[in-house]
Amino acid sequence: MNVISNDQIKCAIALSGLYNVYDPEIGLNVVDLGLIYQIDFDETEKRIDASMTLTTQFCPMGESINSNVTQSLMNSFPEWEIHVNLTFDPPWNHSRISPEGQEFLNG
Amino acid sequence: MLGPIGNSGLQQTTTYKVVLPFYVYAALSFILATILLLLNTHLVDEHFFHPHTLAIVHSMALGWGTMIIFGASHQLLPVLIEGKLDSNLLAYLTFIFSGIGIPFLIVGFYQFQTGFLLQTGAILVNLGVLCYMTNVLSSIYESKKHDVHAWYMGAAALWLFSTTFFGLLLVFNFTRQLLPNNSVAYLSIHAHMGLIGWFLMLVIGVASRLIPMFLISKYDNKKTLWLIFILINLSLLSFIFLNEINAPSFSLYLPLLISLLGIVLFARHCYAAYRVRIRKNVDNQMKISLLSVLQMLLPKIVLFVILILLPKGQFSKMGILYGFSIFFGWLTAIILGMTFKTLPFIVWNKVYHNKAHAGKTPVPKDLFSEKIYDTMSVVYLVGFLLFLIGIIFSSEFLLKIGAFALVTSAALYVSNVFKTLLHQPKRS
Repeated sequence: MNVISNDQIKCAIALSGLYNVYDPEIGLNVVDLGLIYQIDFDETEKRIDASMTLTTQFCPMGESINSNVTQSLMNSFPEWEIHVNLTFDPPWNHSRISPEGQEFLNG
Repeated sequence: MLGPIGNSGLQQTTTYKVVLPFYVYAALSFILATILLLLNTHLVDEHFFHPHTLAIVHSMALGWGTMIIFGASHQLLPVLIEGKLDSNLLAYLTFIFSGIGIPFLIVGFYQFQTGFLLQTGAILVNLGVLCYMTNVLSSIYESKKHDVHAWYMGAAALWLFSTTFFGLLLVFNFTRQLLPNNSVAYLSIHAHMGLIGWFLMLVIGVASRLIPMFLISKYDNKKTLWLIFILINLSLLSFIFLNEINAPSFSLYLPLLISLLGIVLFARHCYAAYRVRIRKNVDNQMKISLLSVLQMLLPKIVLFVILILLPKGQFSKMGILYGFSIFFGWLTAIILGMTFKTLPFIVWNKVYHNKAHAGKTPVPKDLFSEKIYDTMSVVYLVGFLLFLIGIIFSSEFLLKIGAFALVTSAALYVSNVFKTLLHQPKRS
């Protein structure tokens, strides 16, 4: 789950909330699934810029996952301005799944 | 390095209001068709051009298969064409025209009233299909990305309209001479335009996208999908041509072999996706959907038996076997599986769209009963096999038990569909 961040402590707080956001089809949270690429914090502007992806560009649940990631960050950082951007460059691949996530998918 | 950011890649989903009525309609049609089958098991020994057989076939083909595919494809079109559904209004009109037209058609066939009932039904169904085809083609045109899946969708919609329009001509040909021969002579062409052009084309187009997606498989082989697309269309066009020129029956091996090759390539495509899947724990809905890929081969085997072993006099009974193995076999199996891969998501999206960040919401598969689903699957498979054996051995006893099992599986299916549709979030 290699999440890039300019503030590791705040990133850990953000991720603890994001562990509760699930891909509803797979049943795995977005952090273990490796959908979160980057979370940057701008202290002066009180602004969070997060980058995330989806397992497939055509995921019909994309809108829901995206809005729930935004909502989770808003819950973790109520005073901050949240910007969640979706990217498919680089595209998601299975090497981003955490060992816990892989164990879950293996059943 | 991350690429340019933005939310433009998000797929816009079709509203549930457009989609759900089709699922309800299809579920009720399925139970109606199985009840008609139970009441008419003696038909397996009669010619397939029998009013009651035609009523059952059209309940299955239009009320069950087409209506649920209409619903699912309105939902999945954005996934397949990488764009949005062009018009909700056309989708509603598709439902209204088809939904009113199908009962007219079924009652018209059952009572064999070739006048008002059949003609009104055929006109309304054609209006519904015209709305659907226009919506699909305009959505593809607007999406600007035209990969192989979009071609499957577009071609399937065109074949569907060709089928229903030809059906309209056949209906009017009952009462006034529009075509050179009587309508019975064209049944085979009409049926295969629908079976191969509409159902097979659409199922392959959709499944080739969804099966790797649900299995989280990175397998992608556009070249094979293009080849299958060409083979399926070629087989259908050559079948129509050979029928039109009254070619000898052995020449029908050609389209049969071409379509068989297409299906085998598709089965291989699915197996390749399955082998490299990341998600190892495959759920039961996916298992029954994968089983339906194998069931595609059964009607082809039946056709080979018809052509090789049987004298022409016994074609009729094998025709029943062929039709049954398609409508109650392959088509029903894939719908039983895919309903509970798609419907729970549509309902989940409606109920929990903005509530899933707290980690306390159920997942879509919790919206239906897995116990009922498993029971339904077993009862369905038993019913299908018993009825199939009943046709082969003309056993009324097996036919009745098989049909009863199919009615039971349809009832279980309907109860699970309504359990999903009526899902309410638990109050905390």
